[in-house]
Amino acid sequence: MIRKFVLLGSLACIAGCATSTPVDISGNSAQLEARQIQTRQYDTLDKTLTMRSVIATLQDLGFTIDQADAELGSITATRYDQVTMRMSVTVVQRAAEKVSVRANARIDERAINDAETYQDFFVALDKAMFLTLNKVD
Amino acid sequence: MRAQSAKPILSLMGALLALQLSGCATQSIPKGALRLEESTLEVRALQTRRIAAPSETAILTATIAMLQDLEFNVERIEKPLGVISASKLSDADDSGEKTALFFLDFLCVVGGGGGCDSMSTAKDEQSLILTMVVLPSLEHKGEYAIRVTLQRIIYDKEGRVKVLQRVAKPEIYQEIFDKLRSSLFIEVNES
Repeated sequence: MIRKFVLLGSLACIAGCATSTPVDISGNSAQLEARQIQTRQYDTLDKTLTMRSVIATLQDLGFTIDQADAELGSITATRYDQVTMRMSVTVVQRAAEKVSVRANARIDERAINDAETYQDFFVALDKAMFLTLNKVD
Repeated sequence: MRAQSAKPILSLMGALLALQLSGCATQSIPKGALRLEESTLEVRALQTRRIAAPSETAILTATIAMLQDLEFNVERIEKPLGVISASKLSDADDSGEKTALFFLDFLCVVGGGGGCDSMSTAKDEQSLILTMVVLPSLEHKGEYAIRVTLQRIIYDKEGRVKVLQRVAKPEIYQEIFDKLRSSLFIEVNES
């Protein structure tokens, strides 16, 4: 009985690992939950100064900027530090004095889904925004 | 007797299952991957200078010319955000690199290991990736805050990635800013 179970389990795992690679378009995370942990709303700075702070934060964290678009509020950055980490950050003007910042991060081929890592990013962004607000270059 | 002969097969299958399970499990994300280090403000100071310039166009033109002086390829510019992305591919063989490889071989030989041929990987290529952010200073009118971040990837002769790292040497950043000041001087006096 145990032998059968182990055999079946082993076969199932081999099958699980050996499937042909599907086109992973949807990712693994639940859409709404992912948006919540990846997004923060700010009412301290305008969109341009928020983007300036996001770029400074990415530089503080050791990233170089691959591309940035002021109009669309999109910034893509990469960090090469033992592993390759890529981030996309989008800054959107929501209302007259409200800006939302959404960040996505991946390490090599894996998406980061844990709330703590994003929390660390937004703590870093808070500090950069504080410096921008107080006109520190 | 039958039960005894089945035991090794059972344990082999068990081991296989454990191996498969560990193979299937995804690696965990490193903790604190986006946590600010305590030295962040020092690094910021190292990477940032304020330079007075007659106009935004003058400082941006001088920056691009300086990157060309350093033989970088400018890849993207987003003027409203002051972001300039550039890169270059070059030899990774400075003397420090070679000394490190030599010591690696030395330790390998002393340790009695075989195949100690790190030195044969000399003449690696390195890809330098640079971002410059040039923006009007928030603190002083007429000045521009310029921040540089630099990273590199070192490839061995077979094109495999050997090192991924941020460049932290203060003298490299100092050299970039010295070259930028000269470039701005030429820019202002030529126009």
